[in-house]
Amino acid sequence: MSAYAEFDKERQEIDALLRQGYVITGIREDLNGAAVQFTSSGPGVNRVELLLLTADSRKYVTTLIFAGANPAKPLETHM
Amino acid sequence: MADLRIDLAGIKSPNPFWLASAPPTNTGYQVQRAFEAGWGGAVWKTLGDPIINTSSRFAAVHFNGQRVAGFNNIELITDRPLEVNLREIYETKKRFPDHAVVASLMVEPKQEKWHEIVKRVEAVGVDGLELNFGCPHGMAERGMGAASGQQPDLVEAQTYWVKEVAATPVIVKLTPNITDITVVARHAVKGGADAISLINTINSLAGVDIHSWNTIPNVGGQGAHGGYCGPAVKPIALSMVAECARDRGVGVPISGIGGISTWQDVVEFMLMGSTGIQVCTAVMHHGFRIVEEMLDGLNNYLDDKGLASVTELTGKSVPKYSNWGDLDLNYKVVARINEENCINCNKCHIACEDASHQCIDMLTNADGKAFLHVREEDCVGCNLCSIVCPADGAIDMVALDSGVAPMTWNQRQKVISGLNSSYSEAEVV
Ligand SMILES: Cc1cc2nc3c(=O)[nH]c(=O)nc-3n(C[C@H](O)[C@H](O)[C@H](O)COP(=O)(O)O)c2cc1C
Ligand code: SF4
Ligand code: SF4
Repeated sequence: MSAYAEFDKERQEIDALLRQGYVITGIREDLNGAAVQFTSSGPGVNRVELLLLTADSRKYVTTLIFAGANPAKPLETHM
Repeated sequence: MADLRIDLAGIKSPNPFWLASAPPTNTGYQVQRAFEAGWGGAVWKTLGDPIINTSSRFAAVHFNGQRVAGFNNIELITDRPLEVNLREIYETKKRFPDHAVVASLMVEPKQEKWHEIVKRVEAVGVDGLELNFGCPHGMAERGMGAASGQQPDLVEAQTYWVKEVAATPVIVKLTPNITDITVVARHAVKGGADAISLINTINSLAGVDIHSWNTIPNVGGQGAHGGYCGPAVKPIALSMVAECARDRGVGVPISGIGGISTWQDVVEFMLMGSTGIQVCTAVMHHGFRIVEEMLDGLNNYLDDKGLASVTELTGKSVPKYSNWGDLDLNYKVVARINEENCINCNKCHIACEDASHQCIDMLTNADGKAFLHVREEDCVGCNLCSIVCPADGAIDMVALDSGVAPMTWNQRQKVISGLNSSYSEAEVV
């Protein structure tokens, strides 16, 4: 798979979660990439974790928060 | 025509072109001929207790047909009596009162030694002093040159001793043979330096003869490490100049040295913070008259840019030089191949395939003709293909509008730690 296709696959997974109302609530980076925690506060709290392997999606996910596209509260408090 | 005059910490010169302290400034005969040719200043071959040189002392690295890509020497400071040098400095200054004559000095790290030599050279009318804390060989074994220059406290103390008696501006010449040149630069300034100059030569061994197994150069079969300079060291010198120029703790004028051989090099060193520049190897290779082309080129450049004075160049690129962590991760360039200029050598394909991201495809068009195509979405914009491409205009690196806000590594890390810290430890993944 081309590097772009790998990134695109991960990006679609991120976008799909955001469309379902999840917000990014935590990022832990380690030797393998970034474990990103998504939380939705619908009826009950749901958490999903995505392990992002490509550099472009690790960049994409933080750009979303930095640019204010992630509706997570931490954006307002910590930027 | 623009005004080329400079004033480096009070040392005035008709243009920014100075000869560095080295063989071209060994005698009054040479320095005066250099001034006639157009050089604006000269830093005299380092004065100190006269030494004895070896025979066979220079070597060069030639690269792919370019002679003297780098130059190596094991020469020491002047081997002539101080009195003779002082007489010639006096005569030179009398003939060229408006040119800058700077005395380069190196003595043992003792207060009385510095006091004595400073008083004697200032008595013959030099415009300034340059303290040589940079020579990497010979003198260092005796505690001078780079041996002093590698110890920030010694640089500070010796500069202080010089400033105790000096009436003219003091330039401290720095060695590049150190991990962080700004540390020594700051100590020189603490000692009272009015300016700094850099770089002196880089520790080097020019080569080994694979047939005789002797070093290059060698003195009767024995070699010793020398100092490297010339075009090959320019990027190292330029980065060290830039680091000093952007360091607020340094904050004194800079005389840029290292691999300068064209007027374009001069412009680059000035943009990166130099008030003036010095040249050695290019003069040893081509003679004093290279300054004519440098003067012409610089004049035309300043006219083209609409600049009235060369001093307007100093430091203009320094704000554009920062830390890796402050670069925009969302900036994106990609390679584009222009078929009309491509000579089908395939070097870009091989480079991308073997050493980068495998995104230059070899395709065949409808007429059966092979052509290369960059898959832009996979191109990381590393520039390698355009670096190896031998045909002008065959590869452009094109900036794409990524459509997202700029974000640096430092900003990104802040986002992550802000995000994580706003949730309890248990909740953070
Ligand atoms: C043969 C030779 C002798 C040198 N002697 C001295 C010296 O006596 N004092 C000094 O401060 N620098 C000396 N240098 C260093 C030069 O002044 C200069 O810092 C260095 O060569 C870098 O400039 P370049 O790349 O234009 O040659 C010498 C360099 C060479 C090549
Ligand atoms: S810029 Fe780098 S990644 Fe892009 S095509 Fe050229 S060599 Fe390949
Ligand atoms: S390196 Fe340049 S000239 Fe050679 S094939 Fe690639 S684009 Fe064409």
